[in-house]
Amino acid sequence: MAVSCKKPASYGELCVNIGYSVNGKALITDSLCYRNDAGNEFLITEIQWFISKMELQDESDEWVAFEPQFFYIDTNIPESQTLRIASIPVGKYKTLRFVFGLDEEDNRTGLFTDPPESEMFWPDLLGGGYHYLKLNGKYLDSESRLTPLAIHLGIGQNEDHSQFYQNYFSVELPIDFTITESSENQLDLTMIIDNWFRNPNLYDFNEYGSHIMQNQAAQQALKENGNDVFRIGRPTDNENNTNMEKDNRFEEKFKNVMQKAAPKPHFWTWKSLKERMGSPIGTTENRQAV
Amino acid sequence: MKLNKNITLVCGLVLALASCKPEQIHYVPTPYELPQPAYFPSKNNIPADNPMTEEGVALGRKLFHDARLSGHDGTDGIRNCASCHHQGNNFDFGGSVGLHHSVMPLVNLAWNHTGLGWNGGVATLEDMVLAAVTSPVEINADTNQVVKYLQKTDDYPELFEKAFGSQEITFINIQRAIAQFVRSLVSADSKFDRYLRGEEQLTEDEMAGYELFCTEEGADCFHCHGGGGLALMTTNLFYNNGLDDEFNDLEDRSAVTGSHRDKGAYKAPTLRNIAVSAPYMHDGRFQTLDEVIDFYSEGVKNSENINPLMHHVMDGGVQLTDIEKAQLKAFLNTLTDDEFLNNTEFSRP
Repeated sequence: MAVSCKKPASYGELCVNIGYSVNGKALITDSLCYRNDAGNEFLITEIQWFISKMELQDESDEWVAFEPQFFYIDTNIPESQTLRIASIPVGKYKTLRFVFGLDEEDNRTGLFTDPPESEMFWPDLLGGGYHYLKLNGKYLDSESRLTPLAIHLGIGQNEDHSQFYQNYFSVELPIDFTITESSENQLDLTMIIDNWFRNPNLYDFNEYGSHIMQNQAAQQALKENGNDVFRIGRPTDNENNTNMEKDNRFEEKFKNVMQKAAPKPHFWTWKSLKERMGSPIGTTENRQAV
Repeated sequence: MKLNKNITLVCGLVLALASCKPEQIHYVPTPYELPQPAYFPSKNNIPADNPMTEEGVALGRKLFHDARLSGHDGTDGIRNCASCHHQGNNFDFGGSVGLHHSVMPLVNLAWNHTGLGWNGGVATLEDMVLAAVTSPVEINADTNQVVKYLQKTDDYPELFEKAFGSQEITFINIQRAIAQFVRSLVSADSKFDRYLRGEEQLTEDEMAGYELFCTEEGADCFHCHGGGGLALMTTNLFYNNGLDDEFNDLEDRSAVTGSHRDKGAYKAPTLRNIAVSAPYMHDGRFQTLDEVIDFYSEGVKNSENINPLMHHVMDGGVQLTDIEKAQLKAFLNTLTDDEFLNNTEFSRP
């Protein structure tokens, strides 16, 4: 990851800030407060995905490639939401483009050996490489049961795994953006989650089910819907707010679970252990479980 | 007379220095080369202030197996790390220890990146040594007493000097030595490893089991337990896998994160040597692999907290046939690394 430091005068540092919106509002994780066009009520727990081969097009139509080439983005890792590119030539740019996921040139098992990227591996039997996207959450199924939802995109395959399909896609977004010599160049990129399920294919969780790694029809529908999933700007820039009221049933139920639990811990915690370190640690009196 | 007196004084001083100050030997520890097995992560968790050395690992191995780690030699309550971490059981206990959490295996922990224990609440192996030595339900020792006791032994001061440059034993160096030994416990030569390296083929049943392991429409194990692309056979992350639908354990992952999402969530343990790692689950409720497979097939319980990856829960599990269960078990048995389980470099010195 690049760190701001002394650079040639003609370069600037760029930060691309990743955000997520649902129905025009910034994503709130683990809240059952969203409904897609098919009428499915759903929540999102986490989003993990890859962007690769990001480039900016300058006014003379030249493309400037970013380093590093791959970015892993994870809602559980706040620092991963800012993509830092150390050296971009100063100037005006009119287009941002990138690959959603990893293309067939890059998407090979073994590309990433370390976590968290390696945790995205896609089994070789299913085409290999890595998940492009894990969008994990839950939805209310047709019987109003809260059901796990794991929308995982990657290489698709036919039934006997003899044929594989590339489901990554390229995104091009017009921008009017100037890179200066400062390290304060900020560009906002938002994933519009509800658009995954909207256009041109109405994506119904009850139809496609809770998991789709071996469902190329679902993968293809999402790939096509990806055409308008990304836009330049912050999640809250869109005023088209059709949010449902926030549903507090999780919090209420959790509160009940917590109230049932015994109030006193019955095993040591690391904090308590640290407190026990040093003299006169180890006396019988000090060895009480906390 | 004055000159003679001075000569006598100087000679006496020289003699005194020669007789009182033994020749100092400065030991330079030999760097220990941690193996880097194929398909393992390139980043390990060796801390900058505790680099692995041959002498440090050897000292850690001795301490790991030495009952004097209890801080005394009485017959009552003597324990060491090996009391609960048996090599033949993947360095876990191989049975119930009568606690609410079972013993976790000590294998390939040099590449663990998410904290230790079922809830990941202990940050490093060095910390874990302190936790285990002082825990009332584990070694239950007084660190000061341990240091004093080992300092009085004939062998340890020199071993500490060789490993850490001083005969003065400190508890932090005890932690460092044992952590070094535990990091050296590398298992990477199971039949499945040899299959990945192209050295050995799996049988038809084992291969069918691997396909079940690696597919969402099969047993869907890989998301949490890895596979060819994640050869540690665990993500080392934390999941609520649907064991229960009520959560009263105050030492689950939520105790560390404070997040209600993590109620009932525990670390996915490595499946390396899983066939010899019974009992299973954080509370050791299953005694056999068959019981574990039955649970994932038809015993999974839904709750608000179940991980989204447990997407077969609406059917009660992944619904395997008897043949598929046998195939999956056959694959799991390929993860047994006999060379590791019997490696004399890891056993009691």
